[in-house]
Amino acid sequence: MDKRFIPAGISRCSVGKFLLWLAPWAAMLAFGLYSAGLCLVKGLNQTHMNNRFAFGLWIFLDLTVIALGAGAFFTGFLLYILKLKELRAVINSAVVIGLMCYGGAMAVLGVDVGQPLRAWFTFWYPNVHSMLTEVTFCISCYLTVLLIEYVPIVLKNRKLRQIPSFLVFEHELHKLVYVFAGVGTFLSFFHQGSLGGLYGVLRGRPFAFREELGIWPTTFFLFILSAAAVGPSFIVLTTWLVEKISRKRLVKPAVLQSLGRISGMLLAAYLLLKLVDTLVWLNRTTPRSGFLPAQYYAWEPFGLWILFAELAFFLLPMVILLWPKLRARTGWLISAAGMACCGVAVNRFVLTIQTLALPTLSFDRFLQYLPSWQETGTFLAVLAAGVLVYSFSFRYFVVFPEERELGAAPSAAP
Amino acid sequence: MLPWNYGLHWTVGTAIFLGAFYTVLVVVATTLITAAWRSRRTLETGADEDVRWHSDFLDLPARDRPCRHELTGEVEHRPCPNGFDCRKCDTHQSFIDRRQPQVPWGKTCEGFGMTFPLDRLYHRGHTWVRRERNGAVTIGLDDFGRRLLGKPDSLDLPGKGQRLRLHNTAWRMRKGSLDLRVVSPVAGIVLETGRPDSEWYLKVMPEQPDLRHLLEGFEVQPWVASEMERLKRALVTAGGPSHLVNGNGTDVASIAAACSPQCWESVCSAMFLRP
Repeated sequence: MDKRFIPAGISRCSVGKFLLWLAPWAAMLAFGLYSAGLCLVKGLNQTHMNNRFAFGLWIFLDLTVIALGAGAFFTGFLLYILKLKELRAVINSAVVIGLMCYGGAMAVLGVDVGQPLRAWFTFWYPNVHSMLTEVTFCISCYLTVLLIEYVPIVLKNRKLRQIPSFLVFEHELHKLVYVFAGVGTFLSFFHQGSLGGLYGVLRGRPFAFREELGIWPTTFFLFILSAAAVGPSFIVLTTWLVEKISRKRLVKPAVLQSLGRISGMLLAAYLLLKLVDTLVWLNRTTPRSGFLPAQYYAWEPFGLWILFAELAFFLLPMVILLWPKLRARTGWLISAAGMACCGVAVNRFVLTIQTLALPTLSFDRFLQYLPSWQETGTFLAVLAAGVLVYSFSFRYFVVFPEERELGAAPSAAP
Repeated sequence: MLPWNYGLHWTVGTAIFLGAFYTVLVVVATTLITAAWRSRRTLETGADEDVRWHSDFLDLPARDRPCRHELTGEVEHRPCPNGFDCRKCDTHQSFIDRRQPQVPWGKTCEGFGMTFPLDRLYHRGHTWVRRERNGAVTIGLDDFGRRLLGKPDSLDLPGKGQRLRLHNTAWRMRKGSLDLRVVSPVAGIVLETGRPDSEWYLKVMPEQPDLRHLLEGFEVQPWVASEMERLKRALVTAGGPSHLVNGNGTDVASIAAACSPQCWESVCSAMFLRP
């Protein structure tokens, strides 16, 4: 029924099967929108956040998806600035994933901050003393850049490209894509860093507080590096996932291995810095704050295991991704990519949920936090919207240019 | 955000931060405006068909645009980087210079149940070009194209005096819901147009006599063989009867009847280089 809109040279499943795939995600989106609506209308009392536990599931997920979505800017940087041409096979997918991640992060931030009709206040009356002002500016700009980078993917649709003005505009935009890649890299560099910069002023939270390197706290650099390291791994993971679900070969294995190798090298750099940072934090920063490191890990369930888990989730994938023979095997490559993504999630969890849970002052208690169903629903809306956008893009646009060349088998999936 | 905002006191940090932000906005806006302005200029000069060809060509998988010298076995694997315009190619002449003298080729090339007269040159969009004594060229659809498409329902030929551009639309053929734009093998001025049932469709005075970008003689047979492979791949992708393509026993004309309309349209679009 919709074959005329499906790109030439590739096959997709029937409309019925596609709708069957979309149905549960649409239901999840509807539930999530209802949850988000409750939060917007009735306020944050719908959540289990409070004055003490100001960061909850949403901020943890914001930080995580922004780190994972870094694959978009980093792949663009590698392809258009460093001219790694083999990444042309995944750049469209990276842009869509970036759009999903950053769009979702902005949506959730809008629900968390509230009063979305006054979102323009952030730009018109910026609090120049707040790091989050810079984060908001950068994320908004980068989302705009991602939308602009998404436009050529849309305009190349089989039917839309028959309109001469769309075809020509897409062609001209594509010729200037390196400008957007450069701007995206600049913006992402700063907002990834600024999210980490927060921990330079969080003196009231010694567990998370980090000392400065120059004018920036060490977490400024660690956040940038972890995002750059894990972004390619997330692209590998999602590409593999899409191949599995669609039962098609979408990219040559060498492309995924190349991304894995880059991820491994950056993980090595990150781990080195993280190790130094952790040692400084344990031996200098923490005692100066009047704490012993062991005190941080005396509270269940946040025992010492979480520190080791965080490091292991980076160390193991680093070893696998830098070992050519292991990297060449899909099982090892995907496991490593998955572990790296888990690592960044654990890191962001530690710096949000665990940070706020731990007592600081003598009369503080260890705080328990479990997200409410409304919070979970809002997160599920972001996930569902992302899957829906990606599914539509995969069906109607050329997300993987090499798919035709690799030969598509008749499909039973989206 | 702006100087007159109450409470905003400009410091070095503020200036750097807002300056960087404004610069990014200006760069993004300027780039968008530049793209829009260039698009408008391209559309006004009628160069949109050049863009379409460039886009269609790059959309072809690498194995569907092999260099002519790969077809003849002179090089192992080389996708064409020049939009099938060998006149722009740095290496084409060196391949020609290295060629052994060819045995004079016969009058026709027969294969796969089709006939390709060798008194003419062939474009990879399945048109042929025959030089005439007065310097003009005659253009028609080759046997592969005719058999695959069958008899069109209607034909939209350009008018006399109309200018054709290389790789832009030469003429349009409609059959069922398929609206096929046939790629022009030459650039020039249309002198005369044929009829739907005639062997040729256009007589054109080319802008330049150089037709090196077209296939000739001994190149035709390997090209036709590769087109049969490409046809098979197109049928597989479109979910059509690829078993009908089986070497010299293939009957290209039977493919239309054996395919669903959508499959056949997809195959025709691919084979005529219009994905």
